[in-house]
This record gives sequence, structure tokens and C-alpha cells, in this order.
Amino acid sequence: MNSKQKYVIAVALILIAAALIWWLGSGSEILSKDGIWVEKPLTELDKTLGLKPELEFHEKFILGLIPHVAVFSGVVGFISALLFFIFKTKKTKEIQ
Amino acid sequence: MKKIAKTLSVVLIAFTISFAQGFKVKPTGEKTFNFEDKYSRNQASFFSTTPLEDITGISNAVMGKVTFNVGDIKTLKGSISVSVASIKTGIDLRDEHLRSDNWLDAESYPEITFMIKKVGDVKIIADNKLEAKLTGDFTAHGVTKEVVADVTMTYLDESEQTKERAPGDLLGVQATFNIVLSDYDVENMVVGQKVSEDIEISINIVGSSAI
Repeated sequence: MNSKQKYVIAVALILIAAALIWWLGSGSEILSKDGIWVEKPLTELDKTLGLKPELEFHEKFILGLIPHVAVFSGVVGFISALLFFIFKTKKTKEIQ
Repeated sequence: MKKIAKTLSVVLIAFTISFAQGFKVKPTGEKTFNFEDKYSRNQASFFSTTPLEDITGISNAVMGKVTFNVGDIKTLKGSISVSVASIKTGIDLRDEHLRSDNWLDAESYPEITFMIKKVGDVKIIADNKLEAKLTGDFTAHGVTKEVVADVTMTYLDESEQTKERAPGDLLGVQATFNIVLSDYDVENMVVGQKVSEDIEISINIVGSSAI
């Protein structure tokens, strides 16, 4: 493994780790979401009417493992593998 | 003979009144409650589990009317419907799939309905509150099956407080029942996830007698 290949692996690992850290920070959801459900507080009248809290949809993007982090990691892995192979080939030619 | 017939009639009426189960509130007689809410606060939801995550779907486009004799809940008749296109699950792609012809087919079957047929197991909780089991025809994806819903109903006479929500007397309804997806010819896959066969449906609505 030459220095360029080591650099490619290091950059790929940093990018994938960053994506995973971002995912963990976003709530570790399996699926990416476009919004969240929030329970609205019950009014006295709601309680008297025997109602359950109404759920309200709030638009908010939440990064999930599928598809965003998985696709990003896959693309990074694919490009890294490609570069790894290209750099390996070039080095072999240089030796010859 | 006339005397016997009269006595029998009185006994029959007394018997009917004593066994009528309903709300003990000021208004009497037949009332109709409309669940249309211009502020879309009435809500129907479904809950399902998948191996990856639980799915909650919500609709605020709930419509319908019920009519009953205030003193006898067993006279309850009417239906509740939900627009399929209004259901949201929190993931746009999944919502599209839900509306597609593989799932609920919103174009061919734009509404999901519950038509009330029978009221049973009435339990009076308070003068204005009762629990019961509602038997009705549940229609989704063009298929109709009989289901039984556990329901809690609360009757409120019109007051300054109720006017904050809507004019007229109010009827709060909280109902829950389960359906089996395959009964309604629905594939139990949503965006690559296998959805549980059993779906729990909840209804949380308020109707007004003055709309």
C-alpha cells in the first residue's frame, strides 16, 4: 500500500465516520424522516370531552441510516475502492 | 280488554324507558352531531409495527355525522369517513406509497369509512359519559368487513366553554379498533418494509349539534 492509497483510505474513513456521527447526533433513526409528530397539550375542554392529545405534524428533516447515510457511505466506499485500484495500477507501472 | 291493553302499553313503555341507556343531560330527543371541523382538529390515526420501526399515520380530514336519541345510545346511527389522500406518516415517500394502487389506492378508493350498525355493552360512566362497543362496517380499499370498536363518548351541553370549540352541544368520541390488512386486499409492505398484519386504528373526534 503506497502513501496515496493510505490517504484515500484515511479520507474515506473520516467521511464515513463523520456521516455516522451526524446520524447519531440526528437521533439514530433507521429511516430518514421529513417530519415529526408532536403531541399538542390538552385544553381543559379536551380533557372534559375525554380526548387524547392531538398529534401535530412538524416538518423537519431527520437524517436516517436508510437511505442517506447508507448511500453516502456506499458512494464514498465505491470511489475509494476505485481510487485505491487506480493508484495501485499506477505504482505497478512505475516499478516496471 | 281495553284496560289490559292500556296496562300492557304502560308496562312496555316503562320497561323500555328503564332499560334505555344513554346520557342523562338537559337536551332530550333525537340529536345529530356533525364531525366536520373547519380547524381540522378531529383526528384519525393508525399504528403499525415493522422490523425497522413503528409507523404512525395521521389524518385530520375526518368527516361524518351521527344521529341518536340522547336518552338511548342504542339508537345511534351514522358514519365517519377519512380521506386517504390526507394520511401522513412522516415520510413523504412512504405517504406516496400508501396512496398508490399497491396499497390503499387513493384514486380508486378515496375514502375509508366506518358505518355504525349496532351499539352494545353500554356502560354508564357519568351522566354525560359512557363506554360502549360499536359494531360497524369498516370499508377500506373497496373491501367492507365488520369490526367492533371500543368507544368512549362524552356529551356536553352548550356553554361558554364549549363555544371555544364549536357552537351547539358537543359530543366527544374516542374510539379504538383493530383490523387485519390482508382482509382488505392490501399488501403488507411499505417502501420495502414488512408491515404488521394487525393495524390499530384510533379516532379522536368532537361533533357539534349546531353545524
